[in-house]
Amino acid sequence: MDAADVLIIGGGLIGCAAAWHLARAGTDVLLIERGELNAGASGQNAGSLHFQIERRFLEHGEALADQAARTVALSRLAVSEWRDLPAALGDDRLDVAMHGGLMVAQSDDELRLLERKAALEARWGLPTRLIDGAEARAIAPYLADDVRAASFLADEGHANPRLVTRALAEAAASAGARFAPQTVLRALVPVSGGWRVTLRRGAADVEVAAASVLIAAGAWTMAVGALAGVHLPVFPIGLQMNVTERVAPFLPHLVQHVGRRLSMKQAHDGNVLIGGGWPSRLARGEDGFDLARAPTVLVDSLTGNLAVAAATVPRVGALNLIRTWTGVVAITADQLPLAGAVPGRPGLFVIAGGSGFTLGPTLARAVSAEMLGRSAGDAAEAMALVAPARFAHLNAMLA
Amino acid sequence: MSEPCYDLAIVGGGPAGQAAAEQAVGAGLSVVMLDEQARMGGQILRQPPYEMTVASWLDARGYRALKRQLARAEALPGLTFLGRTSVAGVLREAAGFALIAVPTDSAPGRRVAARRLLVAAGCYDLPVPLPGWTLPGVMSAGAIQAFVKSQRLVPGERFVLAGTHPLQLILADQLVAAGGTVAALLFAQTPGAVAHALAGHAGAALRHAAPLAAAAASYARLRRAGVPIQFGRTVLAVEGRDEVVAARVGVPGEAGEAIACDRVGLCYGFLPQADLPRSLGATARWVERTGGWATVADAWQRGDVPGLYVAGETTGVAGAPAALEEGRIAGIAVARDAGRIDAAAAGRAAAEPRRRLAHLRGFAALLDAVADPRAVMTRLAGDDTIVCRCEDVTRAQLLAAAEGVAAPSDASALKLVTRAGMGLCQGRGCEAAVLRLLAERTGVGPEAIGGFTPRFPVRPVPIASVGEVGGR
Repeated sequence: MDAADVLIIGGGLIGCAAAWHLARAGTDVLLIERGELNAGASGQNAGSLHFQIERRFLEHGEALADQAARTVALSRLAVSEWRDLPAALGDDRLDVAMHGGLMVAQSDDELRLLERKAALEARWGLPTRLIDGAEARAIAPYLADDVRAASFLADEGHANPRLVTRALAEAAASAGARFAPQTVLRALVPVSGGWRVTLRRGAADVEVAAASVLIAAGAWTMAVGALAGVHLPVFPIGLQMNVTERVAPFLPHLVQHVGRRLSMKQAHDGNVLIGGGWPSRLARGEDGFDLARAPTVLVDSLTGNLAVAAATVPRVGALNLIRTWTGVVAITADQLPLAGAVPGRPGLFVIAGGSGFTLGPTLARAVSAEMLGRSAGDAAEAMALVAPARFAHLNAMLA
Repeated sequence: MSEPCYDLAIVGGGPAGQAAAEQAVGAGLSVVMLDEQARMGGQILRQPPYEMTVASWLDARGYRALKRQLARAEALPGLTFLGRTSVAGVLREAAGFALIAVPTDSAPGRRVAARRLLVAAGCYDLPVPLPGWTLPGVMSAGAIQAFVKSQRLVPGERFVLAGTHPLQLILADQLVAAGGTVAALLFAQTPGAVAHALAGHAGAALRHAAPLAAAAASYARLRRAGVPIQFGRTVLAVEGRDEVVAARVGVPGEAGEAIACDRVGLCYGFLPQADLPRSLGATARWVERTGGWATVADAWQRGDVPGLYVAGETTGVAGAPAALEEGRIAGIAVARDAGRIDAAAAGRAAAEPRRRLAHLRGFAALLDAVADPRAVMTRLAGDDTIVCRCEDVTRAQLLAAAEGVAAPSDASALKLVTRAGMGLCQGRGCEAAVLRLLAERTGVGPEAIGGFTPRFPVRPVPIASVGEVGGR
């Protein structure tokens, strides 16, 4: 039987980041991945580094907005994390750019929403600045004339999802972490002193003993949780994104819209990436959603997203669309991340759900510290908000 | 805004699309045809613009039957033709298909709904990476021919043509007739390889005397015109700083000699345009000799997605006459599946096209064997040669990315790491080369590796044009 101190399930950004932190601390790490590294949401998302309170938290009433505002502390930590990441990895190929982000409003209703959001952020200490249309266009001359106001946060930006996970994996491997791609998890059984894990590689099953296990499986989290006999309430969502041809730099900021679904930035290579939470259609199988097949593009999402993009930044309308792609992300029932120790399952940890690219490295650092028995430091209070303990009621009656 | 839902949408106005339209309209179905060109004809009968008349346009004997078909299709009553329109993508809908149709002049796009869809999108020139192939002045045979055919325009002064496909003979003949200079016509395969291929298809060679005689006549005319025709030699590299000034010509592996020219035409074969069917999830098979994906069709030209039909080069490159027969069969099948004719009538109507198709496929197999590019095309690129010309990714970069802890093992993963295939052409240009490289490295065949995930749109289209596509 093979053995490892820590078995990480999932070769995305979070799994690779945790592998890096744990391996650097001297832990024997084995990371397994059913397909290719970075093949899920980590590589499919559009790479926004967004720290303002998201539109999705504002459109479902005060309670959710207040709850989201309390995670601002995590966003503040994520800002430092992304500022430090390129140097820490000894790698300037992550295309991290943090030149500020604007969330814009065009109508009266949107302006009121923006003001409400700015007040919440001020209360929790996020230095967002509310500016009028003229000032917004002074910062971002490419914005449409009818942009009434914007909230500006100097730290927002983007990074390259194609590169970050790979860089983290290479750093982890250099620190001694072992990687097993094309490896399927078959069983996850608690035993004295840890977990016994059954893996399938090719046609053969192999057993691994691990003192602890980290589930970093994105949309597959619920299925992996079931193997361990716990409910991890993380639900798959199909999204779609768009990218234009490469053009000379003109859009240095992250642009979001407070009233309509839009997230837009120009990548290091010159392409403009356009998304913002527009749904694609998840494939359906006999027993529910089929995550093995890519979601399909929805016409209304396509036309809707591109129309908002051109209405917000008119110049984008003349650029050629070269690709629309779909991906699967995972969110929890309360839309906050799920990160930390799983109650009642000693040695089992999870990181999943919501803003996984922006917050992923921060969550991976904090949970790795928890797994090593170290203090989460500055992150402790924020990590309590996202801990799996809040869903303990779901597992209270599971044996 | 309420647009009609057509009984059939046809993508492509070439021989296959025309023949299918004739059958479907004849059966009383409502049909819309979309094509990127202003007029029907496809690449084989690339028409001059409406505003222009070209004297004795394509009057060679081989075009006559196709021109008769074109005249009938253009006169079809009730056929809706949307020219200068790209089909950016097709999406499944409950009642059939939604085509996102975008005019090539960047006007607002529209949604075209149809119960059934025929993709007859033709083929494109096989790109063969070699040193200098991205210099302005290097053209595909198809691109040169489009100029010569539609407007008698010779797009250059002095041409070196190289490749393995016999179409080069016709192209060189047309170039010379239109006033161009062909400095060299190079067949990369040896005369022995040609003889071997012909011997392997001797029966087909005998049954298809006419096209072979036409090729022989082209050959004789070119010799009389003093065009040097050589076998076993090809363009090893293209030289020039900002544009082509010479072609380095010789046997792969040797230094070769420079031939001054301002245009290099490459003609190693053709790949099926299968991106629309693939994006719908239709099964496509890897084409062994040239690479690329041929959409799989049943005996009625149905793809394995309900409501989808495929005909012509989209199903595998077999030439315009074969495409026409496949289109005819597809049109009959649509009429049958729509309940306009019964199975017996459809079977009777399809019998003659099927007989001719079987005959024509024999000739296509012979051409494939003669034109086989495999022995040469993989020996031309060096480590520094660009494989993905949209994103400037070299062979060395692809090889380097295929190593290490996060080594990708399929084409889409390699694309994510290197950007090869992420550019304007959507990977059409480099997919086959990337797959051959991965296959070489992993020992797994291209079909098992799988190509780039097909994505919307299949053509670059302006953001505003798509944003302005109206509601249902």
